[in-house]
Amino acid sequence: MEIKKILKITAALSTAITLTSCGSGTAEDTETVDAKEAYGCNVLNVYNWGEYIGEEVISNFESQYNAKVNYDMFDSNESMYTKLLGGNSYDVLVPSDYMIERLIKEGLLQELDKDAITNIDALDPVVVEMQKVYDPDLSYSIPYFRGSVGIVYNTEHVDPAEVEEKGWEILRDPKYKGRVFMYDSQRDSFMIAFKALGYSMNTENEQEIEEAFEWLKELHNTVDPAYVTDEVIDAMIYPDAVNYKDLAVVYSGDAAYIMSENENMAYYEPQQGTNIWSDGMVIPKNASCPGLANAFINYILTYDASYDNSITVGYTSSNKQVKDDIASGDYEGISAYVPRDGYEKDEVFRFNEVLVQKLSERWTKVKIAE
Amino acid sequence: MKSFSKMVYPYVLWAIIMIVVPMMMIVLYAFTVKGNAVLTFQFTFDNFVRFFSDPVFPGVLWRSLKLAVITTLICIAAGYPTAYVMAKLKPNSQAVIVLLITLPMWINMLVRTYAWRGILAHFALSGEAKVYVGMVYNFLPFMILQIYTSLSKIDPNLITAAHDLGADNIQTFRRVILPLSLSGVVSGITLVFLPAVSSFFIPKLLGGGQYVLIGNLIEDYFISTGDWNFGSSISLIMAVIILISMYVTRRLDRYTAQGDDD
Repeated sequence: MEIKKILKITAALSTAITLTSCGSGTAEDTETVDAKEAYGCNVLNVYNWGEYIGEEVISNFESQYNAKVNYDMFDSNESMYTKLLGGNSYDVLVPSDYMIERLIKEGLLQELDKDAITNIDALDPVVVEMQKVYDPDLSYSIPYFRGSVGIVYNTEHVDPAEVEEKGWEILRDPKYKGRVFMYDSQRDSFMIAFKALGYSMNTENEQEIEEAFEWLKELHNTVDPAYVTDEVIDAMIYPDAVNYKDLAVVYSGDAAYIMSENENMAYYEPQQGTNIWSDGMVIPKNASCPGLANAFINYILTYDASYDNSITVGYTSSNKQVKDDIASGDYEGISAYVPRDGYEKDEVFRFNEVLVQKLSERWTKVKIAE
Repeated sequence: MKSFSKMVYPYVLWAIIMIVVPMMMIVLYAFTVKGNAVLTFQFTFDNFVRFFSDPVFPGVLWRSLKLAVITTLICIAAGYPTAYVMAKLKPNSQAVIVLLITLPMWINMLVRTYAWRGILAHFALSGEAKVYVGMVYNFLPFMILQIYTSLSKIDPNLITAAHDLGADNIQTFRRVILPLSLSGVVSGITLVFLPAVSSFFIPKLLGGGQYVLIGNLIEDYFISTGDWNFGSSISLIMAVIILISMYVTRRLDRYTAQGDDD
């Protein structure tokens, strides 16, 4: 973790240098606003994913708006939701698609002030289409990043042709026993099983769920995978001397970051289909400074802030110009930076409480199966 | 004296708000089902039936208990000789060794466990073995210090007396030193076993997510699943087990204390 932080800081510094050398005049043009005067409050509570923001983004916002940002991080949509229900007040949250859908349905969000979000035209139409599935007019949410789920593999030990031929099934190949990282998330793991079996990841069919459960148990028993979350990033960049892994289930943005640090790693989105997702910025009902929150969302969409975010973290920017520039710039040749879109077998995950309940208990059982 | 006793009130208030009320809420959640508003809650045993009717959950409980017992036994086996040797050293050297043993505790347990993850990455050990290494490493100092304290409190005259009465070294140890130091072992067990049963981040970090314990199960049900009722009932089962083990160690302590009187 520590090494990664240092790398990110150096990455951010070099970005800052490139940016200044490019002579981005935009930063000087932006007028400063006094948050207290404009919105009646100058403290903004932001709750975002860990390792999900550029190094300068918050401090630039603070000086531009003469405001103070309390920046808090979560590691799963569910823990964010639990904390929100626990009565914590936040101004801006950045949950994933299905969680935004849930928050909208449960009436926990307030409508955005579209007049304040003037940079909305900068959004990439691809991610807007994905978001429209559950928030048709973007009334509650503005896309932040998007991505897919795929397999990162070590090209020194695994033949790309084999990954392409087997797709998700390669994760169950006994040949790779002890060499597989699964992502410790019921949603992503069951998605893999559903897709490998040719089902929709949004199925409610009891029979299909049971088959997926068996698929995952067999995976657990044949390859003895390690169930990890963010640790997978460091582990694939710096493979262990003895306990290295060859295959890992990874989000596209993390994959892009891994590939930019370790050239032996490659990313593949199986032909059986995968989950394409987006994370969006929303304002909860109990926000204490909604005016500033809208200004923050608008600020994130600016070229500079989006660029800093995307280049630091590796996830695909929702700002089209930034995405295009990075894809043909720093992340050129890194396929994971631009996830597949428009493929019929790829799906957006929808919120479904019944399914979540069914999967979560089964997921716990997969992990403790002997 | 009377005026001083009033000073305890803030603490009582604190304990009620921070300890009693949350415990009551856990009990309330454990005996109700999801979706009920607090005002219309329905009493049920369903959560407990669900826990014990599926072999998977008692299996996890069993694994946690096994881990805690084995960790405690290793700590006694490694801690007792260490403490014994320490107590025999010159007072100055004893102080240095106590310092060396407490030194790692100046750093947060979580940070040290992350460090172990980096170290163990270079060894071909199973997830389970790694968890044991981390557990013993973290809890051993508590055991050593407890046993050391009770050993160093033994009056040297008792040992001299035992020798004068014709006991050899082994007899002296078995009949005099060991019984007198057992209270240290018992309090060491309390300090190692209880946190070991409920530990969840050591297995999580070192076990590669493959080693689910009861603490991880509770975390899962509260955070990922959002089923607070079932999570609470597991917590309650956990609390009962801890209470029972505290009672057992208390009895053990009394038993050894009686042994002292003989």
